[in-house]
Amino acid sequence: MIAIVIPIGFAGLSLALLLNMIRLVRGPTAVDRILAADTMVINTIALIILYGISQKTTAYFESALLFAMFGFTSTVAYCRFLIRGDIIE
Amino acid sequence: MELLVALAVGLMTATGVYLLLRKRSFPVILGTMMLTYAVNLFLFSMGRLAVNRPPVIQVGGNGYTDPVPQALVLTAIVISFGTTAVIVTLALRAFLEAATDRVDLAGTTEKDSAES
Amino acid sequence: MRLMLIIAIPFFGALLPMLLARAGRRACAIATGLSTLMALVLLLSHAPVISAGQAFAVSHQWVPQVGMDLALRLDGLGLLMAGLILGIGLLIVIYAYHYLGKDESLGAFFTYLLLFQGSMVGIALADNLLSLLVFWEGTSLASFLLIGFWRHLTEGRQGARMALIVTGGGGLALIAGMLLLGDIAGTMTISELTARREAIQQSSRYPLALLLIAVGCFTKSAQFPFHFWLPQAMAAPTPVSAYLHSATMVKAGVFLLARLWPVLSGTEWWFYTIASMGAVTFLLGSVVALFKDDLKALLAYSTISHLGLMTMLLGLGTEAGLIATLLHLLNHAAFKGALFLTVGIIDHETGSRDLRNLGGLWRILPITGAIALLGLAANAGLPPLGGFLSKEMMLEAVSQVSWWGQPHLLTAIAAIAGTFAVAYSARFFAGAFLGEPGADLETAHGPSWGLVGPAALLVVSALAFGVFAQPLAEPILQTAVRGAMGNGDAPTIHLKLWHGVNLPLILSGVAILGGGILAGTFDGWRSLLKRRLAIEGQRVFRACEWQLVSVSRHVTERFHGGSLANYLTWFLVGVLALGGLSVWPSGLRSGDRQLLPINVLALLLITCLAAACLMTILLHRRRLLSVLMANVVGLITSIGFIYFSAPDLALTQISVEVVTLILILLALYFLPKETVAEASPIQRWRDAALAGLCGAAMFALTWVVLSSDGPTDLANYLIEQSKPAGGGSNVVNVILVDFRGFDTFNEIMVLAISALIIYALLDGAMHGAAADKLDHWEHDIPRSPEKHPAMFISFTRALLPLALLVGVYMFLRGHNQPGGGFVAGLVVTIALIVQYMVSGYQWAAERISIDYHSWIGWGILLAAGTGVASMILGYPFLTNAHEHFDLPYLGSLDISSALVFDLGVLMTVVGAVMLALANLSRLGRRAERAAQKAAEAAKLLDRGE
Repeated sequence: MIAIVIPIGFAGLSLALLLNMIRLVRGPTAVDRILAADTMVINTIALIILYGISQKTTAYFESALLFAMFGFTSTVAYCRFLIRGDIIE
Repeated sequence: MELLVALAVGLMTATGVYLLLRKRSFPVILGTMMLTYAVNLFLFSMGRLAVNRPPVIQVGGNGYTDPVPQALVLTAIVISFGTTAVIVTLALRAFLEAATDRVDLAGTTEKDSAES
Repeated sequence: MRLMLIIAIPFFGALLPMLLARAGRRACAIATGLSTLMALVLLLSHAPVISAGQAFAVSHQWVPQVGMDLALRLDGLGLLMAGLILGIGLLIVIYAYHYLGKDESLGAFFTYLLLFQGSMVGIALADNLLSLLVFWEGTSLASFLLIGFWRHLTEGRQGARMALIVTGGGGLALIAGMLLLGDIAGTMTISELTARREAIQQSSRYPLALLLIAVGCFTKSAQFPFHFWLPQAMAAPTPVSAYLHSATMVKAGVFLLARLWPVLSGTEWWFYTIASMGAVTFLLGSVVALFKDDLKALLAYSTISHLGLMTMLLGLGTEAGLIATLLHLLNHAAFKGALFLTVGIIDHETGSRDLRNLGGLWRILPITGAIALLGLAANAGLPPLGGFLSKEMMLEAVSQVSWWGQPHLLTAIAAIAGTFAVAYSARFFAGAFLGEPGADLETAHGPSWGLVGPAALLVVSALAFGVFAQPLAEPILQTAVRGAMGNGDAPTIHLKLWHGVNLPLILSGVAILGGGILAGTFDGWRSLLKRRLAIEGQRVFRACEWQLVSVSRHVTERFHGGSLANYLTWFLVGVLALGGLSVWPSGLRSGDRQLLPINVLALLLITCLAAACLMTILLHRRRLLSVLMANVVGLITSIGFIYFSAPDLALTQISVEVVTLILILLALYFLPKETVAEASPIQRWRDAALAGLCGAAMFALTWVVLSSDGPTDLANYLIEQSKPAGGGSNVVNVILVDFRGFDTFNEIMVLAISALIIYALLDGAMHGAAADKLDHWEHDIPRSPEKHPAMFISFTRALLPLALLVGVYMFLRGHNQPGGGFVAGLVVTIALIVQYMVSGYQWAAERISIDYHSWIGWGILLAAGTGVASMILGYPFLTNAHEHFDLPYLGSLDISSALVFDLGVLMTVVGAVMLALANLSRLGRRAERAAQKAAEAAKLLDRGE
C-alpha cells in the first residue's frame, strides 16, 4: 500500500512545488509572492515527512518542525513589513 | 546527482558575484548571502554526497557520511550570520550618516567637483 | 643574575610612572629616579672587580635556533657607557621634573625615558650580536616617542618621523651587517669575535659587512651624510635632547664601532670608511654650527661635529685613537649635556633660545652663565678642562697618521674644525650672556635648583676630568680601554694637562686665536657664506619622502578609487587567472566515482533554484522581492542538506535564515526600498560575464571533486571515536563541542564580538547626523493603522511555550541526535523575537527581562569554564567528560560536560542575536517616537488656532 502511495504523494508535491514556483515568478503583487513562498515552505514540510516515511527514518522530522515554526515566523515578518514597515514596534 | 549539486554551486556563485558587483549596499549584502550559500554547499559537498546516511551513530546503521565538512560548515553558517549582521548594520549606519547607500565614491566626487 | 637586573630594572620600572600617573608628578619622578638609581648602584657595585681587569657575563637562551641568546657581558667599555647612561639619566630625571610643565603627562614621558634607558643599557652590556640589535631598535623606537613627545608640535612629529626613518633604516643595514659578521665568524657572541679577527678580516664578505655596520652606526651617530635628522630631532623637549641626542643615544654608533674596534679595525677599508666620514662630519658640523642662531641647532651641529671627531679617531685604527675616543666620549657627555641643560634653562626662563633675541643674560642668570662658560670652554678645548685633554690627545693621534697619502691633511682638518669650535663657542657665550639685554627678557627670572643643579654637576665633572685628570679620569679611562681592547694587553695610560710645547699645543693656540677672530668678525661676513653652506641632506630626504608619498598616492588612487565593484573585479579576475594557470594546460578532469542517480524531484528542485537565482537578479532593484527570492534559494539549499544526510546543517540553515531575514527587514525599513538602475548595459553584461565565469569555475571545481573519491580516514576515525571518546552519537555535535571544541569557542566569540560591534554601531546612530535623520523620519511606504493585529497576537502568544519547549528539546538531544546549542539558541531567540514582532516591543520588553550583554558574558564564561575545568583535571582544553545514569522514571540519561559547554553556546547565541535585533529595532522606535511628538505638536497647534 505504502509503496503505491508514496510515489503518488511525491508526484503531487512536485506539482505543488512547481505551481508555487510559477506563482513566485509571475507575481504579480508582493503578497502573491509571499504567499507562494509560504506555501512552498508548507509543501517542503510535507516533502520531508514523506521522505522520512519512504526511508523509514525519523532523522529529518525536526527539520520539518523547524520549517513549520520558522516558515510561519518569516511570513509574519514579511507581513509586518508590508503593513507597517517596521517589524518590531 | 553530483552534476546537479555542482550546477547549484555554480548558479549561486554566479548570482552572488553579479550582485556583489552592484553599486548599492543592499544588493551587495544579498550577494554575500548568495555567495555564502554557494560556499557552504561547496564545502559541504567536499565530504562527497550520500543519501540517507546521516552521521548519527545508531545500531544497525548502514554507513555514515563524512561528518567533518558538516561540522565545518555548521560553524561557517553561524559565523557568516555574524558577519552578515555586521555588514547589514554597517550599511544601515552608513546610509543614515551619509544619506547615500552607494558602495563607491563616485557620487561624492561628482558632488565635490560640482561644489568647487 | 645581577647583570640581568641592571637591564630589567629600567624596563620593569617603565611600568611605574604609567601606573603612578594619577598619584601625581612627584610620585612619577621619584619612581623613575629610584629605578635609575637602583640600576646605577647595581652597576657600580661591579666596578671594583672590573677595574681590576675582569668581566662579568651571563647568558640565557632566547632563540637558540638562530644563535640568539640574551647574553650580557659587563667589561670596562660597557661600564663606562652604562655608567654614563644611568648617571646622566638620573640628572635628567631631576631636570625633566622641573622642566616640563605642570599639565604635561609626566607619566608617559618617564615611561618612554625608562624604556630608552633600558634599551641603551642593553646595547652597552649586550654580548650577542642579535640581542644587541633588539636593544638597538628599542632605542630608535623610544627616541621616536620622546622626540615626538610634544605631539601638538608639527616639527616634533616631523622630527620624530625623520629620526625614526633614518635610524630605523640604518638599523636595517646594521641587521644585515651583523648577520653577515656573525655568519663569517661562525658565532653571534661578541666577546668571541676578537679571537677570530684574522679570519673575519680575510673574508671576501668583510667589506660588505663593514659597510653595512658602518651605515648603521653612521645613522645612529648622525654622521655625514645621515646627519640631518639630529637638528630636526631638536624639536624634542630639552631634557630629551640633552640625554638622547648628546650624551647617550647618538653615542651608540660610536660605542658599537669601539666595541667592534678590536675585530674590524686596522684595515684599509676600516680606515678609509670610518676615518674619512668622521673627518668630513667633524669639519662640516663645526662649520655649520657657527651659522646657527638657534642655540639648540648650534649645539646639534656641534654634537654632530664631536661625534665625527670620535668616529674619525676610531677610524684611525691606532691605540692612541681609541684612547682619545673613549676619553672624549666621557668628556663630551659631561660638557655637552651641561650645555644642553643650560640652553634648556635659558629657553625656560626667557622663552627664547635665538641668539638674535638674546643677550645680557649674565646679569639675570649668572650661575647659568658660569656653567655655560665652563661647558663652552670644554667644548672649545680650552685648558684646564677635560675637553682640552681629549682634544690634545686627538691632535696627537691624528698627527701620526697620513690620509690619502697626505701626512698633514687630517691634522689640518682637525685644526680647522677646532678653530670653528672655538668660534661658535665664543659666539654662543657672547651672544647669549654678554651685550645688551634682548627686548623680551624683562620677565626672565632665576631658575630653580632642580634645573641648575644637574647642569652644574655635569659641568663640574667636565672640569674635574681636566683638573684632576690623574686621580679621576685616568682610572675610568684605563678600565674602559682595557675593556675595549679585549685581550688585556692594553697600554697603561698617563693623563697630564701639561705636555710641554708640542705640535698639538701650538695647533690649539692657533685654533683659539683663529676662533676668536672668526667669532669677532662673524657678523661682517656671515651673509657671504650663509647660502652656500645650507646643508642639503635634509632637503634631499624631504624630496625623497615627497616623491615616495606622491608615487604611493598615485598608485593608490589608480587602484583604490573607492569603488567596491572595481576592487572585486580586479580580485576576481586575478583569482580566475591564478586558478586557470594552476590547472593549465592539463585542464580539469572528472573522476570515476560511482554517481548517485538523478530523480525527477531533484531536477524540479534545481529548476526552482535556477529560477529563484535568476529572479533574485532580475528583481534585485525591488529589494523586498529579491530578499524573498534569496530566501527561496536558502530553502532549497536546506532541502539539499536534508537529502544529502546533513540534518544538523539543515536545522542550522533554517534557523539562521529566518534570523537573517528579520535582521535585513529591520534594516530595510530605513534603507531605500528600490535600487535605481545605474549601470550601463555594457557594464551589466561585463559583470554578468565575470559572474558567469566565476560560476562556471566553481561548477567545474565542484564537479571534479564530487566525481572522484576522496580520503575517508579522518571521517572513519571520528565516527569510531565519537561514542567512546566524545560520549555522543551525533558525530557532528561531538566534533563541535569536543574534538574541535576550541573552534566552536572561538566561533561564539566571533558572534559575541559582532553583536557588540552592532551595538556600538547602532548606539552611535543615536547621535549626530543619523539621529537627526531618525528624528525627522518620513515613512516611504503606506502603513496600515492597525499596529498589532489581534489574530497574530493570539496565535503567537499560544505558540511561545511550545517554541521554547522545542528549544529545550533541541538543546538536550543535541549530543546524540541532530540539534545542539546553536540551533537551540536560535530557536529560543526566534520564539522571543516573534513576541516582539507581534505584540510590540513595549509589551515584550516588559515581560522578557533578559540582560543580553550579561547573557553573552555568562555564555562565554560558561564555555570557557568547561574548558578550563578539563585543564584543571589535567586534560587538554575542552576535553569532554561524560557519565551515564539510569534514573527512575526518566530512563537512561547521559550527562556530559559538553552539555555545559553547549549551554554556554546557547546563552551566547541568544544574547548576541537578541542584542543585535533589539538594538536594530531601537532605531525604529526612535523614529516612531519623534513622529508621534511631531503629530502631537501639530495637534496642539491646530487646537491653539
